[in-house]
Amino acid sequence: MKNPYLPELATITNIIEETPNIKSFHVVFNDPEKMKNFKFEPGQVGQLSVFGVGESTFVINSPPTRMEYLQFSVMKAGEVTNAIHELYVGDQIGVRAPLGNWFPYEQMKGKKILFIGGGIGLAPLRTLILFMLDNRKDYDDITILYGARTPPDLCYKDDLKEWESRSDVNLILTVDTEYPGWTKRTGFVPTVLNEIAPSPENTIAITCGPPIMIKFVLQNLVKLNFKDEQIITTLEKRMKCGIGICGRCNIGSKYVCKDGPVFSLDQLKALPPEL
Amino acid sequence: MIEIGFLKKENLQAFLKELAAKYTVYAPFAEEDIVSFKPLAEGRDICLDRPANLSPKSVIFPQYETLFKYSFLKKEDSPDKVDIKLEEQMDFKDTVIFGARPCDAKGFTVYDRVYKDSDIPDPYYTGRREKTVIIGLACPAPSPGCFCVSVGGGPADKEGSDILITELPSGYVFEPVTEKGKALMQSSLIEDGKASLQEAQKKQEETKNKVKNPFTKTGKPEISQKIFNEDEFWEQALSKCVSCAACTFLCPTCYCFNITDESRLKEGERIRSWDACMFFHFTLEASGHNPRPTKFHRFKNRVGHKFVYYPEKYNGVIACCGCGRCIRYCPVSVDISKVVDDLCEQSAETNLTSNGGKA
Amino acid sequence: MSMEMLRDVVKNVLSEVDVVIGYTEGFDKVHATPLFINTPEQVDRLIWSPICVHNLTTYLPSLKKKVGIIVKGCDSRTIVQYMQEGLINRENIKIIGIPCSGVISVKKLTKAVDYANIEDISFEKDGKINVTTDKGQKTLALTDVQPDKCRTCQYPTPVIYDHLIGDPISSDKPKESVYEDIVEFDKMTLEEKLNYWLKEFDRCIRCYACRNACPMCICQDSCIAETREPHWISQRLTTQEKLMFHMIHAVHLAGRCVECGECERVCPMGIPVNKLKRKINMDMKDLFDYEPGVNPDDKPPMYTFNVDELKIKEHKIG
Repeated sequence: MKNPYLPELATITNIIEETPNIKSFHVVFNDPEKMKNFKFEPGQVGQLSVFGVGESTFVINSPPTRMEYLQFSVMKAGEVTNAIHELYVGDQIGVRAPLGNWFPYEQMKGKKILFIGGGIGLAPLRTLILFMLDNRKDYDDITILYGARTPPDLCYKDDLKEWESRSDVNLILTVDTEYPGWTKRTGFVPTVLNEIAPSPENTIAITCGPPIMIKFVLQNLVKLNFKDEQIITTLEKRMKCGIGICGRCNIGSKYVCKDGPVFSLDQLKALPPEL
Repeated sequence: MIEIGFLKKENLQAFLKELAAKYTVYAPFAEEDIVSFKPLAEGRDICLDRPANLSPKSVIFPQYETLFKYSFLKKEDSPDKVDIKLEEQMDFKDTVIFGARPCDAKGFTVYDRVYKDSDIPDPYYTGRREKTVIIGLACPAPSPGCFCVSVGGGPADKEGSDILITELPSGYVFEPVTEKGKALMQSSLIEDGKASLQEAQKKQEETKNKVKNPFTKTGKPEISQKIFNEDEFWEQALSKCVSCAACTFLCPTCYCFNITDESRLKEGERIRSWDACMFFHFTLEASGHNPRPTKFHRFKNRVGHKFVYYPEKYNGVIACCGCGRCIRYCPVSVDISKVVDDLCEQSAETNLTSNGGKA
Repeated sequence: MSMEMLRDVVKNVLSEVDVVIGYTEGFDKVHATPLFINTPEQVDRLIWSPICVHNLTTYLPSLKKKVGIIVKGCDSRTIVQYMQEGLINRENIKIIGIPCSGVISVKKLTKAVDYANIEDISFEKDGKINVTTDKGQKTLALTDVQPDKCRTCQYPTPVIYDHLIGDPISSDKPKESVYEDIVEFDKMTLEEKLNYWLKEFDRCIRCYACRNACPMCICQDSCIAETREPHWISQRLTTQEKLMFHMIHAVHLAGRCVECGECERVCPMGIPVNKLKRKINMDMKDLFDYEPGVNPDDKPPMYTFNVDELKIKEHKIG
């Protein structure tokens, strides 16, 4: 029997400082066979271990179409994330992945895709964006609305630059308030969403960000006549086991670590309001 | 091959000793007022006439266990780096649990669906469970607060036991339930008990009739989503809760746990320990956000888990065995059966009124 | 005291506050349970008898409302201690005091009837209890099944109240008797004491009922037992870890513990945890001549210091 609690050892091969408190880590399994055979779907998560400190859950935000390494982005928030931030290239880390469900990208084929992200909430969207760009012909228009508190808080600046330059991606960036040198939009993501007022026709909206942003984005999407099943979000919860047992991340009968983290709004509405 | 066995009372010790030669035998022992399951040992007196304070769940799901050990080794070629070595800890012994009440045995079946028979089985639980034989003891009398019959069990329910024994004045009637149980009855001390079976069944039936059903209106716990999701209900029902874990830790079916790293300098262990959904820390996120911030949310989750969420996932099976421990030992006598009954009653009233409001 | 009078007072108090906390019948005849009264109709559910064991004041610091509360003498000391430590706003609390001649210990009662299931219980005026169990009838003396705190109770009448139900009772127990058992316990050798505690704490399941029921445990959700930063106690279930927690709990209560005994009453594993706290309190009394929860104007000794403590010679300057 496979031991689902035993992490696979991996090495950090690169560290990118995304923002003052977010770093992205490139991680490669120590066992080349494991790396070669590793399969996952966009939206699935992994548990990173710093031995002696503990584990925490992060989305694999590199796409399955680019398998030189797995990328995890880590915002400093607690004990484990602080410890991960102290790691260097060449350090060992434990990985339990893939865990959870993924974005239903098959059902999105031929549709217009609207990504709405805030802060580090772009991480899970990034996986799917890159995956879709690597399979560009399968999808209709791709719009990305992304915001952060200030320009330095925007993650994945290289990606943003590239998406901005592509004609087959419509990128809309916003920061909360005016900032020296910032010439693009200002305003909270939900407000900007109202301003750009995307049509729900043949569209799937996928959102991730801080709980308060998600709350208002969902409200505004509904106002824009998006139906519940057209709205997809990916949740974050405190997790331990990662296999739907330990009882931390459940919302009603659904375990975010196993049945999620990806839920459509109609699925969420059937659950108790414990986000 | 004996189909129904009988063990004379005077042979009980000898039988357990015989088992102890091959198995680690856990049985309920009294230490002053407290009865708990401990390994057979000289000087310990078996206590079968009152339910154990602590269910035997820790025999298969210990309150803490090492998942694996880790150690840091200096890399010879680059002294500023360390290699990490992981060692799994899995060593499970052949075990017998003697004298588990049917509610306790049922508790393990609640675990089984989640830990053993799932698509990602838990190797630690499964390993121990498969090496454990459970000799259940038909409950001689209900205790205050218990309600097994109304949650799908009963004082002589066989689910979860490998053998069910019933105490009669002169000895114990052995009814094998599984092959594992049958194998354990291959002892010269076990006589043919067919003649006593009827007496045993009569006793079982008598006890069953004495167990109360707290679900006054419906007879069984049927909860409507609407009432269940009303914050007001929980605030009324749970103001007195002090948010400790007595209920969850004594519960044979509560299975939530924590995973922590406990280190010394160059090595340490990742351990799993019981945790309780009643603690504020349980769902507290690093950001400070807590999806279940109050005791009302947390108790709702506990009741929900047992009476709504688990049944939703596992064909209507209730994840409560009605042992009554959480009621008997609650510091402030929160009565889960009363809470569920109130929910049912209000649910029934809601169904009766056409406007969907409370009657 | 009369039930009628209690109900009348509670009804009156209810008109001035958001909630009144009292007792009602629990799941069986020997268990009462706290009752949160929000409406006058609920007042009829009130009960008062020696099964009303809980120290209801434990809810006060976290309730951000106007509260009426029923207290026994021992419970009332908690309110005084809360006032000393600034944990409650006295103006928001209406205290309904009931002079008490002792409650029962369910643990002792259960033992006294040989662990039989108790079906009914009645209390006579002369201190006798009639118990009906599934094995028969038994008459006991209330004094035989009281918690230890009642045997040496110095404050049968609440030390602070807004309404008193019934006539005050004065204590007939000698003051010197309060720590007799601790003095006796202290005669054991260090090794004997260590072995005693190792055996007792071996049973601890770390459910933290003792902590959560304790009215003076005010760290609430930041308890050292669970924090990872600092990481003083591991989640291993060793006696060492348990002992560490209980010692910290006891030391945090030095000169603050009002000896309501809730920690010990609620322990599902029957561990005499109050003994530790009373030992410390005995020493605090001896060192600082301080008794917690008696005078609202006192300052807990650990909240202040004197350069020259009278009884701590080692610290004498000069």
